[in-house]
Amino acid sequence: MTDTVVQSEIEQVEQDVVDFKMVTFSLGGKDYGIDIMRVKEIAKFIEFTYVPNTAHYVRGVYNLRGDIISVVDLRAFFNIPAEKTEEGRPDNGLILRFESNLLGVIVDSIDKVVGISSKRVQPPHPIFGDINIKYISGVADYDGNLYIILDVDRIFRRDDESGKGPDTMARRRVERAEVTASDVPVTQREQTDGSDGIEGSVEETALTFIADGVQTFSDFYLTSINHRWFTGRVKEWLNRRLEQGKEYQLQEKADADAFLSPFLSRFTGTLWRDQYAEQFGRNLPATESTMYNVWNPGCGSGQESYSIAAILKRRFPNRQIKIWAGDKDLLPISSAPNLVFHEAEIPDGWEDFMVKGKNGLTFHSEIKEMILFEFSDILSVSALPKMDIIVARDILSFQRKEDQERIIERFDEVLKPGGILVVGDNEEISDSKTWKPVEAHPVKMYIHR
Amino acid sequence: MRVEYINPFVESAYSILSEVLQTEVHRGELYLKSAAMPMLGVAAIVGLAGDVEGRVLFDMKLETAIAVASGMLTNMDMEPVTTFNDMARATITELANMITGQAVTKLHNLGFKFDLTPPAIFKGDNMEISDPDFEALIVPMEIPMGKIEVNVAIRERA
Repeated sequence: MTDTVVQSEIEQVEQDVVDFKMVTFSLGGKDYGIDIMRVKEIAKFIEFTYVPNTAHYVRGVYNLRGDIISVVDLRAFFNIPAEKTEEGRPDNGLILRFESNLLGVIVDSIDKVVGISSKRVQPPHPIFGDINIKYISGVADYDGNLYIILDVDRIFRRDDESGKGPDTMARRRVERAEVTASDVPVTQREQTDGSDGIEGSVEETALTFIADGVQTFSDFYLTSINHRWFTGRVKEWLNRRLEQGKEYQLQEKADADAFLSPFLSRFTGTLWRDQYAEQFGRNLPATESTMYNVWNPGCGSGQESYSIAAILKRRFPNRQIKIWAGDKDLLPISSAPNLVFHEAEIPDGWEDFMVKGKNGLTFHSEIKEMILFEFSDILSVSALPKMDIIVARDILSFQRKEDQERIIERFDEVLKPGGILVVGDNEEISDSKTWKPVEAHPVKMYIHR
Repeated sequence: MRVEYINPFVESAYSILSEVLQTEVHRGELYLKSAAMPMLGVAAIVGLAGDVEGRVLFDMKLETAIAVASGMLTNMDMEPVTTFNDMARATITELANMITGQAVTKLHNLGFKFDLTPPAIFKGDNMEISDPDFEALIVPMEIPMGKIEVNVAIRERA
């Protein structure tokens, strides 16, 4: 008995491992999926160049930013009735990647990216009438929907010699197509044609694609910590890219950086000043102890740590202040202990913390000695004393979801009750039982209960 | 690990290896490790104490250790070794002492006070090392005889 329980638990765990991602879409009101590794991007097709004397399912060729690719209408290919797209409206589609070429396919609408465990994919059942069973690699159940996973390699394989390639398939299909005319009006789909519904789904699709992009290029993970910022940013991004006449998908690291650039907190890479410094100083926890400990993971090249040191020194001149500052990026952290500043970079009133050297200004030794710069990864940090303050700006969002949770648990462990946690301007922690938000705009601050 | 400690170890590993082996030394990318890690076969460990606590570990394959020991001995006009015998052990011990000693001297000049323990040598297959509360800096050094991983774990005494 117990054995079976354990067994089923193991199976449950195995089923929860996401190792297969697919892009889902609909064709004639049914849900389908294609392995994400085969999908180069999702696209809107408009203005095809018609190619005479081709199979009826070939819509033509399309100019994809300079590459000419053929576009196949999957609905015509499988003889699924489809509504005619209005003149001038783009068709929804996917660009598929094969070993030697790219191919565009048109579908009714793109749904989303779904991650499942490959254990959940079941073999196809012969009763899926619309599509020949040999083009289906399996069926997966996700969130109550059944997705038919298409085997695109099989469908579009060039197998000219044996004569089993798309050409022969096409011929057979044309015969069948005469029975079910390919432009049968479909009433069911037309109802969803209201512009609101479509807009919403475009944004959702964009969100998953962009989230995938920033994760691949910049190790940014979309979670509840940054979700609010992310959804707003996606809207902004879609509009801007549309104006610029560019694709919204992130094609390279530079795109991901451009997308994320407004995410970074105020005074990243510079000394804190003005209202930000003031609000931080005003809301510091006033403890009785003579020691004041600060943890500053992800400190980069150290401007943040020096700012914290100077503000604390001003507020508590007689306390013994110690700041543990760490970063896993070797180059920036190596330069942190000997950081040199120009006169214009120094906030008003901090002049007496600085000494003049031959290359510029540096903080004097009393401030420097407060900070311990370490080459260290937040995930493996250990043996820290109890902290009064943790400043962790824009670091959580760049950790995997499970690591984010682990780190927040670590914060909970290390921070004294009543201590404060500062996160990035565009990050938030939703667990209000442990972390009580502090009204300190523009600083994103929480009190540890 | 405190950033000030990194360079002295990297520099002394580089300069001592080039000097005693009279050969080209190439330093790989530095990285951090905290989980248990497999060891290559022969390891020399030097403990550190004083303002800090920690250890430095020099890890290499058995054939690398024999080749390095032979190289050092040949350069001192002595007979090379063919097995990992007492002479080879003593030579690797000396190498570990020289590198750590020079690094500690450099750190001493920067104002950090360390004491060393005499090196201990480990040899065996399928060994693993773990010190769960330490984050270790790995400095991979490539030499013609193979690879020596200098594994430095130091933390401030709380």
